[in-house]
Amino acid sequence: MNATVDDELWTAVGDPTRRRMLDLLLTGGGTATTLSEHLPITRQAVAKHLGVLHRVGLVHVTPYGRERRYEVDEAQLARAVAQLTSVGTAWDARLQRIKRLAEAIQRNQED
Amino acid sequence: MERGSIEREIHIDARPEVVYEVVSRPEHLREWWPDEAELEPTPGGTGVITFGDRTSPDAHVVPVTVVEADPPRRFSFRWVYDRAEAATPANSLLVVFELIPSGAGTLLRFSETGFREKGWEAAVLEEQYREHVSGWDHFLPRLVTYVARLVSTP
Repeated sequence: MNATVDDELWTAVGDPTRRRMLDLLLTGGGTATTLSEHLPITRQAVAKHLGVLHRVGLVHVTPYGRERRYEVDEAQLARAVAQLTSVGTAWDARLQRIKRLAEAIQRNQED
Repeated sequence: MERGSIEREIHIDARPEVVYEVVSRPEHLREWWPDEAELEPTPGGTGVITFGDRTSPDAHVVPVTVVEADPPRRFSFRWVYDRAEAATPANSLLVVFELIPSGAGTLLRFSETGFREKGWEAAVLEEQYREHVSGWDHFLPRLVTYVARLVSTP
C-alpha cells in the first residue's frame, strides 16, 4: 500500500468505545438502546458514536420501529483491517529495498 | 514494544555513512519509497513525497518535515499531516532511522510512531483484533472472501 491511509476511517476505529460497539454489532446488529445496555455510556453518547461510524461507512442503518437499527458493513471493516496490517508489511518491503540499495552502493565503492 | 508503533531492525552489509545517504537523500528515497521525493534532508527541512504519477489526479502528495538529521547516526521525519498545518506530535506520524555500526555493516533500527496521537491506535486495534475472538471470528471468513473478490476483480 502507499500513503492512502484513510484518516477518518482510522479515527473512527481508533476509539475503544467505538471498537467495542463494532464488536457488539458484529453479533447481529443493534440499536442505540440495545448497545447502551452493554456499555457504560448513555444512549445519547452511543448515538453520537454511531454517527461517526456511519459517516465513514462502517455501519448501515435501517429504520426499526421508532429507532434505527445498525449493522456492520463488513467490507468497509475489512478495508480498515487490511490497511492496518499493510502498514507493517509496507515498511518491511521498504526496509528490504533500503538494504539492497545500500549494499549495492557499498559494493560499487569497493570495486 | 510501545503500543501504537511499528518497530523493525535489519542488518545491512554497508557502512552507516552509505545507509544514511540511502535513507535521507531524495534521489535514494524515491528508489525505495515513493515515486517522487523532494526533501531538504536537514532539521526543519520540509518537502513532499508523491505516490503515483504526479500529473495524474490520483497522485497522492504527502508533506514531510525532517526532525533530526545527524549523519551517520540518526535521521527522522514527520509525515501524514494536513498540508495546511505544520507537523506536530499531535497531527503526524514520526519515522525514525537509527544507524548502529555493526561489524563492517550497519544495524538499522526503524520505528514509526504516532498512531495513538492521531487517534488511530493501530496497535490497540490489532490487539483487539486478536482478543475479541468471537466478534472477529465472525468477521474474518468474510474478510477472506472479500479479499478474494477484490483480487479476482479486473
